[in-house]
Amino acid sequence: MKRYLLLLAGVFALLSPAIAQEDSLRANRFVMRSTLYGVGYTRVLDTYLSPQEYTGIEGRFLHERMRMTTLLDGRVSTQSMIQANVAYTENRSGTGNEISGLVNWTYGLHYHFRVTDRLRILAGALGDANLGFIYNTRNSNNPAQAKAYLNLTASAMAIYKFRIKELPFTVRYQVNVPFMGVMFSPNYQQSYYEIFTLGNHHGVVNFTSVHNQPSMRQLLTLDIPVSRTTLRIGYMGDFQQSKVNDIRCHTYSHAFMIGFVKNFYLIKRKDKLQHRLPF
Amino acid sequence: MRHLYSFLHTIIYIIPLCLTSCIDAEDYDDDPMGNFEALWRIIDEQYCFLDYKAEEYGLDWDEVYDRYSQDIVSGMTDKDLFNVFDRMLAELRDGHVNLYTGFDVARYWDWYEDYPKNFSDSIQRIYLGKDYHIASGMKYKVLDDNVGYVYYESFSDAVGNGNLSDMLQELAICKGLIIDVRNNSGGQLTNASRIAARFTNEKVLTGYILHKTGPGHSDFSEPYPIYLEPSNSVRWQKPVCVLTNRSAYSATNDFVNSMNQLPNVTLVGDKTGGGSGLPFSSELPNGWSIRFSASPMLDPQMNQLEFGIEPDVKVDMTSADMQRGKDTIIERARQILAEKALQ
Repeated sequence: MKRYLLLLAGVFALLSPAIAQEDSLRANRFVMRSTLYGVGYTRVLDTYLSPQEYTGIEGRFLHERMRMTTLLDGRVSTQSMIQANVAYTENRSGTGNEISGLVNWTYGLHYHFRVTDRLRILAGALGDANLGFIYNTRNSNNPAQAKAYLNLTASAMAIYKFRIKELPFTVRYQVNVPFMGVMFSPNYQQSYYEIFTLGNHHGVVNFTSVHNQPSMRQLLTLDIPVSRTTLRIGYMGDFQQSKVNDIRCHTYSHAFMIGFVKNFYLIKRKDKLQHRLPF
Repeated sequence: MRHLYSFLHTIIYIIPLCLTSCIDAEDYDDDPMGNFEALWRIIDEQYCFLDYKAEEYGLDWDEVYDRYSQDIVSGMTDKDLFNVFDRMLAELRDGHVNLYTGFDVARYWDWYEDYPKNFSDSIQRIYLGKDYHIASGMKYKVLDDNVGYVYYESFSDAVGNGNLSDMLQELAICKGLIIDVRNNSGGQLTNASRIAARFTNEKVLTGYILHKTGPGHSDFSEPYPIYLEPSNSVRWQKPVCVLTNRSAYSATNDFVNSMNQLPNVTLVGDKTGGGSGLPFSSELPNGWSIRFSASPMLDPQMNQLEFGIEPDVKVDMTSADMQRGKDTIIERARQILAEKALQ
């Protein structure tokens, strides 16, 4: 019996590092992906095109990928998020329209504070790239405005997990606030003809911070288990503002989002583990 | 439920308000006074010739406000309001200033309506005949005295490099060339420089452009030089006459200025109409659209071109010539080209 116990202890001792290693690997191989689609209401102002605010509907797409890393004892995660929105808006008198769109990509790291078993607070920083346009359908030499800006963005997130009748739910809130960056903007009354045809680029790339670009994006979601999948519904609040070269711009968007979440586990060297797979 | 509502309200409204201060434009009411204030403010902050026109003829935009605001009364009709705006904008004496409504367009056209027309399309038809060629927007033919004649009616008509090469090769046998841009009220500046590039063998400074950098009347950028680069395709080497009248405006004015910097070119006819401010658009709370000059262009000596360019040879069409079916300006240009050919 003693021999068997020693043998078992030995096997356990040999296996333990492997199991521990497998545990740590599990954490950083866990990937969450979500794809959401949304519709919302937006208010668009760009004084380069018009001093009037345009309002209307927007469609929005959001794809997100989060993954734990091995950094700082596995307390750091990466997040990559790409979103695109297109809006069709109208001035208050109903005599003019604008079409606008923006693609935004963020990538960065969050440190996890495990407050309780159910609640995590995440804090981190993101790189934030934006490219878009606003087109005014009736202007002459200033029919459109290009949007191009890069930001370093502070990000915070709260994730709360709970159960209802043994089913797991997750509520998540994330807020991103850019604190410094660079932005393309024509000068106050400078035409795109002067910038791109004649080549006068002076003053079109500007430093931005909270003083001239007080913006934020926030996302509140609820994950609901549905059969074998997870449904995600949420609210996206996107508040982009700038006052650069005396041109005032804002886009305030409120969108309802819905889509699905996929959680999966990355397997390295799948060929070696092939024999352990059930199918 | 109340807690949930408070939580959502905090997230949607309170946090954004705390973290972001609103960036907004000044909001005017959609009533006669609100629209008047909005229009006056757009011109005050964005129109680019307020200082220049104050020097030229004493324009005082603050005094304009005082004078015309007295005509605004609450409850006035749209047409009455439009009439006040029309008169107020005419104070700017600018063909690039227009107010567009559903029922009318406010405009200032005195820059050509108060002067001789100096162009007759029925007489021009005699010169062109029926056998002229058309390359995109340009009509052209070889006149009897072996002078090439090109009429370009609008710089909005796209002209490609292929069109220009084909046309110049067809006219290569001519001893000189007439480019007639009378009654051409402008269009795209890129067409103007593309055509002018066929008449120079070297890079030439043709002027400067400025833009406003802020809402103050004197907030302007440093003048940025504009160069005419020679085309790398067929280029005209013989004498050229450019025909102008008061209806040559905007991009045509810019074309005439570029050609005026070239040694082989003679401007013949009447002074151009001007219009050297690149126009921008804006709008009023009631939806009326306003166009105005936003970005001035200067000649190489940094003179304003807003009120036109004087020709090298001033010629008006005479009624005697017109009765004979002759275009005095074309005839004078043919004479100049004949003299230059002999030199």
